[in-house]
Amino acid sequence: MTPLLKVQNVEKTYGKGANTFTALSNISFEVEKGEFVGVMGPSGAGKSTLLNVLATIDTPTTGEIIIGDTNLARMKDAELADFRRDNLGFIFQDYNLLDSLTVRENIVLPLAIAKVPTKAINAKVERIATLFGIKELLDKYPYQISGGQKQRTASSRALVTEPKLIFADEPTGALDSKSATDLLESLSDLNNSQASTIMMVTHDAFAASFCQRILFIQDGQLSKEIHRGTQTRKQFFQEILQVLAGIGGGVNDVI
Amino acid sequence: MTLFSLARKNIQRNLSNYFLYIASMVFSIVIYFTFVTLKYNDDILASQQFSRQIKGLMSGSSVVLLFFIVIFMAYSNSFFMKKRKKEVALYSLLGVRKQKIGLMLFFENLVIGFVSLVLGIVLGFFMSQGLLMILVRLMGFEVVGSLTFSPEALVNTTCIFALLFLFTSLQGYRVIYQFKLIDLFHAEKQGEKIPRASLIAAILGTALLAFGYYTASADIFTSKIWRFFTILGTPLMVIGMTIAGTYLLFHSVSVFVLTALKKATSWSWKGLNLIGVSQLLYRIRANAKSLSIIAILSATTITAGGGVFGMYYNAEASVRHALPNTFMWKGDTVKFSQEDVLYNESLSVKKLRVDNEFSFFEYTLLKESDYNRLAKLQGKDEQLHIANGATVLLDTSFDERFSHDFTGEEFKLENGESFHVDKMYTESVLNFIPAGTVLVVNDKVFAATNAEDVKMQVVGMDNDLKQQAISKEIYNQLSTEQQEGFSSVPQSYEDGLATVGSLLFVGSFLGLVFLAATGSIIYFKVLTEAEEDQPKYAILNKIGVNKKQILKTVAGQVAVIFSAPLVVGIVHSAFALLAFSQLFSMDITKPVILWMIAYSAIYGIYYIFTVRSFYKIIRQGN
Repeated sequence: MTPLLKVQNVEKTYGKGANTFTALSNISFEVEKGEFVGVMGPSGAGKSTLLNVLATIDTPTTGEIIIGDTNLARMKDAELADFRRDNLGFIFQDYNLLDSLTVRENIVLPLAIAKVPTKAINAKVERIATLFGIKELLDKYPYQISGGQKQRTASSRALVTEPKLIFADEPTGALDSKSATDLLESLSDLNNSQASTIMMVTHDAFAASFCQRILFIQDGQLSKEIHRGTQTRKQFFQEILQVLAGIGGGVNDVI
Repeated sequence: MTLFSLARKNIQRNLSNYFLYIASMVFSIVIYFTFVTLKYNDDILASQQFSRQIKGLMSGSSVVLLFFIVIFMAYSNSFFMKKRKKEVALYSLLGVRKQKIGLMLFFENLVIGFVSLVLGIVLGFFMSQGLLMILVRLMGFEVVGSLTFSPEALVNTTCIFALLFLFTSLQGYRVIYQFKLIDLFHAEKQGEKIPRASLIAAILGTALLAFGYYTASADIFTSKIWRFFTILGTPLMVIGMTIAGTYLLFHSVSVFVLTALKKATSWSWKGLNLIGVSQLLYRIRANAKSLSIIAILSATTITAGGGVFGMYYNAEASVRHALPNTFMWKGDTVKFSQEDVLYNESLSVKKLRVDNEFSFFEYTLLKESDYNRLAKLQGKDEQLHIANGATVLLDTSFDERFSHDFTGEEFKLENGESFHVDKMYTESVLNFIPAGTVLVVNDKVFAATNAEDVKMQVVGMDNDLKQQAISKEIYNQLSTEQQEGFSSVPQSYEDGLATVGSLLFVGSFLGLVFLAATGSIIYFKVLTEAEEDQPKYAILNKIGVNKKQILKTVAGQVAVIFSAPLVVGIVHSAFALLAFSQLFSMDITKPVILWMIAYSAIYGIYYIFTVRSFYKIIRQGN
């Protein structure tokens, strides 16, 4: 089986001449379809840069990123936008909901942009809203609902188009532990039942313990990779804490 | 580092941010200085006989202009201050006292004010020269004036703008003292509520506008509404209703329409329609006041401009209508240069007193043969053959609403004779001065009619509008009594043009200023919103909306914001001009349409600029 995401020797440098800063160097890995992958590392390690590069919001300095059978390096700006629309879903830490739209309309938006017929839109929105338990909130505006509800709305928006690959950037960063658990369980369910491929950046070990595999980044390089295998979530959580302690610097971020 | 040098460096380094603000200041000063220079320019205006009229007009207009400039400057200043709030917050966070920040901004404003004043006056000087030439041309004078720098204008402009800058600086102080540091930390802004449509307000707004339009388009002289509220009260009532209706239109009807559009999911759930409609809905209520003001201003500008331009356009036609001969006077012929003369006829007519059941008037009785001869000379095809006892009436001042139509009635003379009026023409062959309304009878009846004989001279000339010299030559040879009854096409045309031309100039000048100001107000407003919306478009880009689609939705949204007040303004003014053209019974369709097109075109330029800047701002977010 060919991997869904293939990253080869990706490097990202900022600045010019003597003032260059290497955010990512020599990163290579693969993600299979239906995987739930976490990316961890201390602040400034390059997690978000990696995600932005993978999500086509930023471009790598060198190296290749192949999603499905599309090589992103050869695409132009407008093509990349279309590619994002058709293949990728995003969940951000600060939700990024549009406050002039209702919850329903926020979820409708990516479908409308993809020119899905109205009837089909309605069915899809109902389904995803039920999945995330926000069916009753559909006609409310973002300012009327809580943070957890906002993040579930944002997740519904990211998933409603059934994207090939979902990127989540610290999705639980602004949530209390109850809301965070609810969200992560929903994502995990979705990953199990629908074989959605999710890639999540987090520095929270608890959130990371929902993943099947975790990549650790340190100073812009992949430093370690661990698999959950047959462990329970709690056992995996302990393993993650150990790795973080070994890497150092991350421990303060954990709790 | 002194505060002054900090202020100066601030400006130097952020020139692009300041550019818009300085440009709008310079613009205001250029406009005002130009206007005042023209007002004070005695040399040129004093030599004209209408200078007093123009001066009065200009003084009045400069007050209107000033009022407008104050509004405009307040707008651009508040836009500018909003942009700088973050900077102020930063200084405050670093522990600079508010007093000091205020002083710094005050210095800054002083520097900006001084720079714009100098720039504005220099530019204004050149502009006034150009505009004066246009004014002279429009008025039909052939005077070439050399423009001298007017110290009065300089003093006037400097004083007024120094005062205005003081005012805007104080506005800046107010912003600083009202500003709370906590505002800086309110990263997540409380969402504004999405407006709900009020059906009653929407219906009321539509009804007010409909009634206003109905009244304006009703016949002024027969309508019951006009009779009830009188000729003075009705326009005031109509204006009041239109203003209220316009506000409700933007406040409620717009919300109603947009909500309906949003609910029509088969349309709104397609591409970015949802974003466009929601953004408009989100903003429209806050903008209702500005949009109404702009619509009303546009309506005023288009109406005034269209009316004046219509009069200017009709100046020649109305002169020719009243004066079919180039020159005409009572009495004997005089000697004058015969170059360009097409015909020079002497007529014997009779002066009649006619009674009818309403009142009596003096009329001129004209022989059928004279009529036919003159008609031929003037290039009219119609030849009259009138039966005994009948007559054809020539009345150029006929207006079906006030004048009595005599067709088919008996015309009784004071001496008991009477004529049957066969036909009535609204075109004459004799000038209204001195002939008045003319009765044409056949030669036999003319000879038999007992009335005072009068001799009249009619002259037709080629290139008649340019025959000023001959007009004067003839005029000077006439007696005082004759001079009163002397009519001359070139003289009447020049008089008309001098009045209407200066009106047109002042009208278009003010119109241009209003246009520029309304355009700039929308520009500032839209750009302020663009800065607030920047993150939204960044989200859209992340979701996968490409640049082209974003540009399209931006262009659409801005188009609605621009065209809504323009369309409302044009419709308002169309109805106002309808009433105007009725009142003066002039056909002004063509000039009015030309005027509206010109207005919309300049407006369109603003639109393009706004969309470009909007797009640039939201692209910065990505």
